[in-house]
Amino acid sequence: MSRSASVFYVVVFLSTVLAAMPARAEVGGYGIGTPASAEEVAGWDIDIRPDGKGLPPGSGSVEDGEMLYEEKCASCHGSFGEGVGRYPILAGGEGSLTAERPERTIGSYWPYASTLWDYIHRAMPFPQPQSLPDDEVYAITAYVLYLNDLVEDDFVLTPDNLASVEMPNKDGFFFDDRPDTRNMGCMENCKDPASIEIMSEPSIATMQNEEGVAVPAETAQGGEKIYQQACQMCHEAGVAGAPMTGDSAAWADRIALGRDKLVSSAIAGIGVMPPKGGHSQLSDADVASAVDFLIQRATQD
Amino acid sequence: MFSKPGSGPAVLRKVTQEASKVDPAKRRDFLKKGLVVAGGAIAGVQFASTLRAADNNLPPNLPEWSKSLGSGVITNPYGQPSPFESDIVRRTVPWLTADRIAAISFTPLAELDGIITPSGLVFERYHAGVPAINPDDYRLMLHGMVERPLIFTIDDLRRFPSTTVINFLECPANGGMEWRGAQMDALQFTHGMISCCEWTGVLLSTLLDEVGVKPEAKWILAEGSDGAHMSRSIPLEKALDDSLIVYAQNGEPLRPEQGYPVRIFNPGWEGNTSVKWLRRLEVGDEPWYHREETSKYTDLMADGRARKMSFVQEGNSVVTFPCPERPLKQKGRYELEGLAWSGKGKIKRVDVSFDGGVNWRQARLKGLVLPKALTRFSLDWTWDGSPAFIQSRSTDESGYVQPTFAQLREARGFSSIYHKNAIHTWRLHADGTVTNVQIS
Repeated sequence: MSRSASVFYVVVFLSTVLAAMPARAEVGGYGIGTPASAEEVAGWDIDIRPDGKGLPPGSGSVEDGEMLYEEKCASCHGSFGEGVGRYPILAGGEGSLTAERPERTIGSYWPYASTLWDYIHRAMPFPQPQSLPDDEVYAITAYVLYLNDLVEDDFVLTPDNLASVEMPNKDGFFFDDRPDTRNMGCMENCKDPASIEIMSEPSIATMQNEEGVAVPAETAQGGEKIYQQACQMCHEAGVAGAPMTGDSAAWADRIALGRDKLVSSAIAGIGVMPPKGGHSQLSDADVASAVDFLIQRATQD
Repeated sequence: MFSKPGSGPAVLRKVTQEASKVDPAKRRDFLKKGLVVAGGAIAGVQFASTLRAADNNLPPNLPEWSKSLGSGVITNPYGQPSPFESDIVRRTVPWLTADRIAAISFTPLAELDGIITPSGLVFERYHAGVPAINPDDYRLMLHGMVERPLIFTIDDLRRFPSTTVINFLECPANGGMEWRGAQMDALQFTHGMISCCEWTGVLLSTLLDEVGVKPEAKWILAEGSDGAHMSRSIPLEKALDDSLIVYAQNGEPLRPEQGYPVRIFNPGWEGNTSVKWLRRLEVGDEPWYHREETSKYTDLMADGRARKMSFVQEGNSVVTFPCPERPLKQKGRYELEGLAWSGKGKIKRVDVSFDGGVNWRQARLKGLVLPKALTRFSLDWTWDGSPAFIQSRSTDESGYVQPTFAQLREARGFSSIYHKNAIHTWRLHADGTVTNVQIS
């Protein structure tokens, strides 16, 4: 074999081997994507770990936290962390985890204090996520820990002491160990028919339609849908003096008149508002459902 | 409104328009019965008769729609279901959550066939509402314990080889309202936090290869870009197995409700880990223990301890016909139907009982039987009018048999909230109605 021929065969062999290899085996094989700069990562990297990794510089006291909590958190979570309506309860429930109705709060259930800092910073206050400066997150975290009797009233939270806040339920969790049931899949005479008893039936009221089919008491589109069709245009923006949706102050006096009065005004029209907001095809019940939606929006905050 | 009765397509269009203004709960009646109440006036009988399931549309007569022309192409550039099916919608249970921004809605399982859930009927779960994201402004950041942190655009993600799977997506709180006892008298509410779709995207393992994962890495944090910035720690093992970075659902771009433009999808695992509106993946060596994996999505046992990182949705099943929404109207032959699924793989068999679990009959599996997907089963059956306790019980390819409620409560107590996959009982009454019940 001549030298040039052997070189040719080596080249062919190598090309064949290379072509047969996986498309890529090293970092960045496709070459797709743009390198993330340190600055870009810093802007988005918000996560905190139980060991405190990720905490930014800053600090906040229980005292500062009390004011901020009252202003930004208490309307949903209650002044003492007791929860308003169905918004989460933050404090209490110690020793209740084995009770018939366990109360899973930060103090009774959460294993790590870092989770609280991370969550407040990540998602709170509910309507204005990520609006809190870091020092305010430290202060509110400190105050909520205080509400749970986990720190003293002179406590100041810093990046250095968050990981050392002792959570009562820190050892209360175990990794998934399922399956934890073993059904043998019996096919015949699996139990005594006489032993079958009804243990429970639904207590939640459901309506029945004309075909006798159980239907839920409310569809997602009930009052809200009617509102969107017939009311939103004026009430969302406060057109022509219409009280704005969700404006508790503007609605307070009206709601004080009672739901019946609001419904009858909405049906008959009031001031510059035409009967049924100009949507005469709506039934009285439809209008009432939209009024309920407006009341709910004005009172839920 | 309807000052003059019309006929033909014009009437149907008009009716459809009017129907869209009517409370959806009443729309079906409206269309079926043609009771048009407009501005207090009742429309003409002649008009109404064109809408009703009228005798003159039945054999031997030619129906109205056979004697005229229908609407043309592009009347609906994006097609919608028949207005006659407008009660097949997602519904919510208002008392479950404080508001509709952080809330859940349920898929109407009773009215669906096959295994694919139409995109518009996939159950919703939001923690801060649906964000409106312009895809041009979308970026996915992949960083942490990697050789080369990268940022991807949608175009970038679509340049990688794509993978398509059919998998269920289930909230681990599905049926959670039933832990303490039967509560909800509708299949939609007892089991509707599940859907099954075709999902298309790039395997997370492909992206991890691209950035080069460092040897000490063990976990990945997935984080959303919505106001909740929902975050979950996912073991690297899963990420390298079948986690998918999804941009399409049932053949079209992801729906906003499902995470448009990009979500992570973890087949067979609790839905909460499949973070929507995904903005960031960070590689690390320990879990982060954020709110959704400590305060929430942990399973409190009777002894006060709680199971964490309980990712897999274990084997489950439910009868979808008959059920409270679909009662029996007469005695005779029926094909009972239901859905079974397991996060561990394929469904191997399903058994059905009519006597509350005393005796069981093996059902047949219908159509596609795919791993980690809804699987439809059925059983030919003659109803003689007797009351019955109807149950179904799935077995998956790992050998796991769906437990009874007693077995589940024996193992976990009553306070777990999540992962309720017990055998479900429908009580069939002599009049053909069906209610939810729990029996011993």
